[in-house]
Parts: sequence; C-alpha cells; structure tokens
Amino acid sequence: MSTALSPIEKVKRESKGLRGTIVESLRDEITGAIAEDDQAVIKFHGMYQQDDRDVREERASKKLDRLHSFMIRLRLPGGFLTSDQWIATHDIAGENSTGVIKITTRQTLQLHGLIKSKIKPTIKAFNEAKLDSIATCGDINRNVVCSAHPKQSSIHEEVFGYSEKISELLMPKTRAYYEIWLDEEKIKERTEEDPLYEDRYLPRKFKIAIAIPPNNDVDVFANDIGLIAIIENEKLIGFNLAVGGGLSATHGNTETYPRLASVIGFVAGEKNILKTIYEVLTIQRDFGNRSDRKLARLKYTLDKYGVEWFKEELEKRIGFKLVEAKSYQFSDRKDFYGWHKNHQGLWYYTVFTENGRVLDSEKVKLKSGLLEVAKTNKANFRFTCNQNVIVADIQEKDKASIQRILEAHSIVNHTESATSIRKNSMACVAFNTCPLALAEGQRYLPSLISKIEPLMQRHQLESEEIVIRMTGCPNGCARPYVAEIGFVGTAYGKYNLHVGGDRQGQRLNKLFKESLDEVSILNELDQLFSDYKTKRNTKETLGDFAYRNYFN
Amino acid sequence: MLEEVKLNELNYLVERLSREELVWLNGYVSGLIKNSLKSEPKSAKLSGKLTITFGTETGNSKKIATEFATKARKQGLTVKLASLDQYRLSDLSKEENFITVISTHGEGEPPSAAKKFFSHIHESKPDLSKLRYSVLALGDSAYPLFCKAGEDVDTQLATLGGNRISPLQKCDVDFETDALEWFNRSVNVIGNGEHVTPIQATPVKHVGRKIYTGKILAKVNLNGSGSAKETYHIEISADDLAYQPGDSIGIVPQNPKGEVESIIQLLAVDQKKTVQYKDHEYSIDELLTNKLAISYLPERVVSKYAVIVKQNIPAVRIDLIDLLKIYPPQGENQVDEILQGLELITPRLYSISSSLQAHDGEVHITVARNCFQFDGITRHGLCSDYLSRLSDESRIEFYVHKNFQFRLPAPNKDIIMIGPGTGIAPFRSFVEERVNTGAEGKNWLFFGDQHFASDFLYQTEWQDYVKTGGLTKMNVAFSRDQQEKIYVQHKMLRHAAEFFKWIESGAYLYVCGAKEPMSSDVEKTLLEIIKTEGQKTTEQAQDYLNQLIEEGRYLKDVY
Repeated sequence: MSTALSPIEKVKRESKGLRGTIVESLRDEITGAIAEDDQAVIKFHGMYQQDDRDVREERASKKLDRLHSFMIRLRLPGGFLTSDQWIATHDIAGENSTGVIKITTRQTLQLHGLIKSKIKPTIKAFNEAKLDSIATCGDINRNVVCSAHPKQSSIHEEVFGYSEKISELLMPKTRAYYEIWLDEEKIKERTEEDPLYEDRYLPRKFKIAIAIPPNNDVDVFANDIGLIAIIENEKLIGFNLAVGGGLSATHGNTETYPRLASVIGFVAGEKNILKTIYEVLTIQRDFGNRSDRKLARLKYTLDKYGVEWFKEELEKRIGFKLVEAKSYQFSDRKDFYGWHKNHQGLWYYTVFTENGRVLDSEKVKLKSGLLEVAKTNKANFRFTCNQNVIVADIQEKDKASIQRILEAHSIVNHTESATSIRKNSMACVAFNTCPLALAEGQRYLPSLISKIEPLMQRHQLESEEIVIRMTGCPNGCARPYVAEIGFVGTAYGKYNLHVGGDRQGQRLNKLFKESLDEVSILNELDQLFSDYKTKRNTKETLGDFAYRNYFN
Repeated sequence: MLEEVKLNELNYLVERLSREELVWLNGYVSGLIKNSLKSEPKSAKLSGKLTITFGTETGNSKKIATEFATKARKQGLTVKLASLDQYRLSDLSKEENFITVISTHGEGEPPSAAKKFFSHIHESKPDLSKLRYSVLALGDSAYPLFCKAGEDVDTQLATLGGNRISPLQKCDVDFETDALEWFNRSVNVIGNGEHVTPIQATPVKHVGRKIYTGKILAKVNLNGSGSAKETYHIEISADDLAYQPGDSIGIVPQNPKGEVESIIQLLAVDQKKTVQYKDHEYSIDELLTNKLAISYLPERVVSKYAVIVKQNIPAVRIDLIDLLKIYPPQGENQVDEILQGLELITPRLYSISSSLQAHDGEVHITVARNCFQFDGITRHGLCSDYLSRLSDESRIEFYVHKNFQFRLPAPNKDIIMIGPGTGIAPFRSFVEERVNTGAEGKNWLFFGDQHFASDFLYQTEWQDYVKTGGLTKMNVAFSRDQQEKIYVQHKMLRHAAEFFKWIESGAYLYVCGAKEPMSSDVEKTLLEIIKTEGQKTTEQAQDYLNQLIEEGRYLKDVY
C-alpha cells in the first residue's frame, strides 16, 4: 500500500486555514466553478460544487461549460430551527437556490443550485438568522445528530444540549468562514492555531450521533462516534460510547466495507464526556489513513489497530478508565408521525416528507403550509434522521389552529394516507447533482415504492413497517446497509439488492442479488414477500426473516 | 513582405525548381522589374489644388482615396486628403477642386462617417457656385438602392451650384478599373485647367464577385436551454477559401418553401412557368425562391404594385403574400408586371468567426436567429431563419466581403476586444488567428449577454484560451443575472486603470456588435476612462480619442 499522502492532504495543509484561493475563485467571471483545490476547501465551509449532470453532454456540444452550482448544508446540531429561522431559510431558498428545502439524513437542511455569485448573499442571509454552514462537509466533524422527538423522554432537552456542546467543541478555529463570506476583517496574517485539527484536519469525514433508547431513529451505529443515552430513574447518567461505525464502501474494492460502531464503554459527567469525544478525534487525526481516502474513516483505523488498542490509547489520552458499558435496549428506529405530546404537555406533529424534499406539489402544499405555520410564531421546527420535519413545541391552546393550517395544505391527509413502507423509506439525492451518483436515488424511489405497494398488498403485508432505503452509489448516504431492504446503485437503472438488516439498525444487511433492473427487483421482492408471508415466525420482522432464511 | 498566401505559392514553386531553373528565374524576374520601371508612364507635370475626401464603412473608400491622393501628388497637384467625418464643412464653399469617394449601405444610406457631411449639404445648403467637384460612388448591385448615397451627394452638390469635373461614376463590388478611369479623367481636367464640360457618364461594368459554394459541416445553437435567444454557430467548408480575420461573408437567403407555394397559387400560374427577369430566364418557382424579395416589401415596391393593380394601397411595408390576398392582380399581364416590380433578395452579411489558420478550408459564422413582433405575430428574420433551418451537408452560396477597416494590428501589438452578443464573432477569428500564428501581443476580451448559464457564447473555448494564455484577460457582463443591469461598459469601468494602461502602451481597441446603444455606451465609457485615468478635461479626452482613431487604433464594426 502506498504511503504517499493523498493529494487532498496537501490541499488542506496549504489552505492557509481553509482559505485556499476561494476569494480569487469567486472573482473568476468566466466560469461558474471554483479552482480545483478550492473545491476541496469549500467543503469545510459547508458546500459542495456540483453540476447538472442531465445537461452535461448537451452543453458540451454547445461549447458551454458544465452548469455548475453549489449545495450548501446548514450546521444544525440536533436539527432545530425557530419559526423565524424557518422563514429565513424559506426566503433564501426561494431567492438563491432551486427553491426546494431538502431535509438530509443527518437532521439538517440543504439547499441546491446556488450559482457562484449567490453563495455570499446566501451565507450573509443565513448569518442574519443566526445560522451557519461551518464544517458540515469536509474532513472534519460534521453536523451532530440526536434523537429528534422530544416526546421520547424528559431528558431529551438535556441530550439535545449535548449535541450543541459537542458541535461547538469540535468547530475549527479558523476565522476563514467569517472573512470570506461575511467580510470580517482579517486580524493578522498568521493563520490561527488549532490544537485539535492542526493544519491537517481529519483524514476523512467524521460523524457523531446521540440516541435515546428505545428509539434508534438516528442510526447511532452508523456513525464514527455513537453515544447511547443511559437513563436511570428518569435521569441521564451518562453515555455508552460506540466507535467506528460508517457505511460507505466502494464497488469492487474488497478492502472497503460498511461497519457498525463497536460499543467500548460508558462515560459520565459532562467534562469527561466531552474530553472523551475530543480525544477520539485526536486518535483518528494521528492514526487515520491519510494516503488512501477510501480507507480513511475511523472504522478502518479501529480495525487496523484493534478495538482493545484503541480503548487503551483513548484512556491514555483522557487520563481515566472507561466504565463497562451499561445495558440498553433499542426497539425501534422510526419517526412518530402525527400528533404526540411530551412530558411538559407541549404538542408535536411529525410531517411525512418524502425523501426530505420540502416543496409544494399538486397533492400537498408542504412548503407553503410550513411557512404559514412559521408565520404564526407558535411552533419550532425539528428535523429527523429519516428526513422528516416535526412541527414542534406547540402549546395546547395553539394546537387547533396549527392543525387547521396543516389540514388546509393537505399535509395531514398526506401524512396519514402514506403507506407505512413509503413512510419508512429513504433515498439519497443522487442524480442530477451528486457527482458520485451511478444510478437515480430520490427521483426514482417514490415511483418504485408505488410499484412495491401493490405487491405488499397482494401478500397482505401493507401494515408492516419495513425499512426500505436506496442510494445511487455505494457511499451509503441514505444508510441502505442498515435497511431491511436496501438498494445500492451500480449503474444507471441497476441496483444491488441487500436484505436482512434488522428493524432497529443493529445488524448490517447482506448483498442478496446483484445489479437488478426494475423488473428483476419487483420479481425478487415478490418472491421475498411470498417466502416471508408463508415461512415467517410470529412477529418476526422481514429483516430478521430474510437474515434467517437466506444467510443461515 | 509577401502575404502568406503569396509566400506559400512562391515557396511551392521554388521548392520544385532545379538549380538551373532558379538561375533562369532570377534573370527573368530582374528583366520583368526593369521593364516595369520603363513602362511607368512619364506623366506630364500638372498643377492645381485638389481635396480628396472619403466616407467609408469597411475601408474601401479610404483605400482608394489614399491611392488617388498619392498618385495626384506624384503628378504635381497639391492634395488634401480627409475622411468626411474629419473634414471641416465650412471649407466646402472655398474648395477649388473637390472629389469624394463614398459608399452606400443598408437601405441606400451613406456610411456613418459621412452623415455629418450629408446633413450639411442637405440642410445648411451652402452656396457652392464656385465648386468644381466629382463623386465616385461605391456600391453593390446586389442591393436595390445601388450607389444611392453617391447619387444623392452628386445631385445635391449640383443643386447647390457646383460644377461637375466629371460625371458621377458608380462602381460595383469589383471597382478598381472603373474607379481608376474616373480618377484619370478627373485629374486631367483639373491639372490642365480645362473648363468643365459635361462628359457622358460611363456605364457601370457589372463584374461578378467570387461566389463560393460551401457545404454545412456543423450547425449548433450555442444558447443553453432556458435562454431567450437562439445563436447558431455554423461551420461551412469551401474550396480555395481566402479571407482575413475581420471580413464578413455575404449570403443570399432563400425564401421559405411554403410561402413561395402559396404565392404561386395566389398568382394562379403554373409552377413550371418560365419568366424573364433582368435578362435571365427562370422558372417561377426558382425566381420566387432564390431571387426575389417577397417579405416585408419596401414602400417603393408597394407603390409600384398599387399602380399595377390600380388600387389605393397605403404606403406601408407589407409581405407580397398579403398584398396578393388583399389586392389580387387581374390577368397574366399584371402578374408579370408585379414580378418585374419586385426587387432582388439582398445578401446579408455575417462577420466571420473563424481563422483559416485554425480551420483550413472552413469559414464559421455566428448567427442570431432574429425574432421580432410584427402585427402581434412573432416572425423571424429571413436570412437567420434560412440559416437556422439548414441541415448538415446542405449546400450554401456565399461570397467574402472584405473589411479593411477591421484588421488585426502587427503581431506584437496588444489588442482589447469588446464584443457583446454576436459581436463576439470577429474576435473568435482574431484570437484563433493570433494564437495560431504565435502573435506575441496581449489579448483582452470583453463579452456580454443576458445570462451566464445559457448565453455565454463559446464559453469553453474562451476558458481554454485563458488557461493556455491565448487570452490574457477576459471580462464578462451578464445583464439579467441580477437586479441591476450590467453591461460590457460597466466591466470596462471596473477595470478602468488597467484599461487605460493598455491603451497608453499602444493597445488597439476593437468594438463589434450593436451600434445602438452598445457602441455609443462603450464610447462614452471609453472617454470617461481616458478622462479620469488620464486626468484630462472632456475636450482633451476627446482629442485623445480622435488621436486613437487617427492612428487606426480604435476600430468599430457595428451594425
């Protein structure tokens, strides 16, 4: 294996504190793109350069450059917005991007189709709403996610608080974001000291999630660090620490694989908890693979050096021993659609948002409806890792008026009438903007679900809450490897079919059939449902059945 | 010293000659030179004053006027040479001998450089009873109002009391011989102090120009989806092509088939019927498809029609098909008269957007499909529509229209090119030429259009040139991508300091595209830059600009 540093390492080190030549790139009038090295740097500012892949060929024949635009992703620890912030986001999306607000699989929002000249106005407008996009992409700790629904327990608020604290702790120290996008004056020529990231940052992206059992809605084991809240007598006593989860893989590269995080112990007390998290990052910073980006996530570091070694190294760095992991139980991994009340009597309505796309369609005026809700100033907005929005924190006295707005925009009907497989399905963005996409994701899954629904009905399985997920490539953004039925794109119109994941997200599924087109997918599922219907044990989930039936 | 083409031919020949043949050629050539020196006529010394003026658009009038001035000086005359826009109008009534070379453009209009002179003689009406004059009119007989501007000047000078040295001479595109004869006649009269005796005007000799038959190699709409525009890049190949960057090609469009068929039906004649038109026989179908203008007829043609069909028809521009519907002709005689009353389809000129250095045997043009509203209906310009409908491999006839006014400078000179919209065309030719000949001068290009995403003509080519140094700088303005309108002149202003520095270091300035408002706005901005960056008064700035024009460093191809 080559030990030469990957080219991106050089770009990071020479970026002058994530500044690169972004300012010059923005001034370049003749291209909608930014310089190649800046494309790596700008990720740390929460953006990806993309282009409309549907029109590449046509534009080339017209002597036009690719139609470049940028995706910007917000930093929303725990996935929370006030009404005012939702209105601001709504307006910014309308003014500067495609207009669609996309709820991501990691509890934040992203806007697509920003042209180069719109980036600065967008970030300025977000800043006025006290929102930023710092470190939401790139080789750095990304948005910290946590169990979304406050009805879950009285400790939700405390846990949610941790997501903010962790996010703050792991922010880069450079002022580049403020200088480039918000015209903050540069104080000194020297770039800022950053004891955590130094000038190297991490070898690869880094994801942290916090789950409150019994719901694993955040897919806690799919993260580099998973924190499992341990509750005794209705009090948060600390977290079980899981490390080394990550789902991305590369077709044809057997060294890559999805991996669930390993629980290595329990830690209590805010200071110790934060210290532990911090040092997990320093280990990955110092030991992670910086020559092959495909093998650079924490999971590979962990498997290379061993879990025991990792624990020892961590304890050495934090200066205390981890306690043995406490017991916990996950029973679900879902969103609580419709109205629910928390322990303080506040109300929450979880809106079904297919693939996280907030827009007005003929059937449901989701975007207008949410705007009207925000304008009442009587609700907050929370986002889930299943790409849904929760209209949140509503007083009893306001519930009826919010309900009327949701009904008037067909949101209630839309949420209630969606089948349970549709509501438990998820797809990544893929075409036309994702540069990694091999096959369609969110543009295709809804129509495929429409063809799966009759099959489920035929086998009388329509009430089963089967988790179906699709990604357009093997990188796993929509976490297909922890789905009961996972589709992973291999080529345009072709998908690998994975089955056998459990319902709670504690067991990876397995590759079942390779490179299927739609007809073959439907045939395979028809057979799968038929087997399941006839041979299942009582209360056995489809994932458990498939695992038992096909792989044992 | 030799033009590339000639040099190539010479090399071709020399490479194939033996040593002996070369020696022989050496002697042969020196003999040729001796003889030519001997044969130079020893002209009699003449005396007298002569003012030669010219109004030029593409440089032909200037070229010819300058040649005449040199000749006349050699023959002993005291000669003043001036472009009509630089000529002091109050001098006109004091001139002894005044000759002017003037071309005709568009609908019989004088070149823009002659507009002031034109309005002076038509509106101020000075007394010219002492003036002896002659007019050489350049034109193109493919246009109905052939040499109209020259005719107008000749008539008006006579009306104001002037006496003709020699009658008006009209010249077609191949003007050299006619022009020289006219000049010799005129100079003889002047130099020998002869009294002006009216001489019969010599008829125009119509000499055909070189018509190329080209093949469409490729045609692509350069505008991306969502654009309000359609701009076609058309690549044409033809044998023995010769042109220079800055030249245009002239194309005679065909009328749309459907419309021609309807007209033939309305005329109630047989499609195969042959018709005599200006000494040629055509089938009616061919005549109406390839020869006669049938849409948006000028008022003069409409009036003729009215007389033929004996009807009162308002003098407005209208299509033949509509005239035929509303005022149908009676009988075959009227049909024939109507056909005779129609004018030829005029050629349309398109700036060449390629260089032979980059595309051997090819000529490229950049054609905006012209869209306009007429009577509430969206219509397309005849020629751009014809071109946009051409398919690959189809044949097209064209000729090269030279533009001596719009030429690249020496290879080591810097150039600034301002070409929004299809004004970009000649600059693609310029840059291709300079890149492929290794010209070391710097190149700065300004381009503008409506939208960055869909209207950036030749974007990837420019990007490559910027990357590889073919373009030193490029600035673009897209007017509709933001609230406020941003045009090329705003980009010039944003780079004012550097812009002025380039001019100060001898850069040549080129502007191509819409005359109004673009070229006026660009010129205003140019003056502004000279004023602020050069710390000059308005007057000094104007002088500075005039100096640039004088030096041939501020060149426009605007329409």
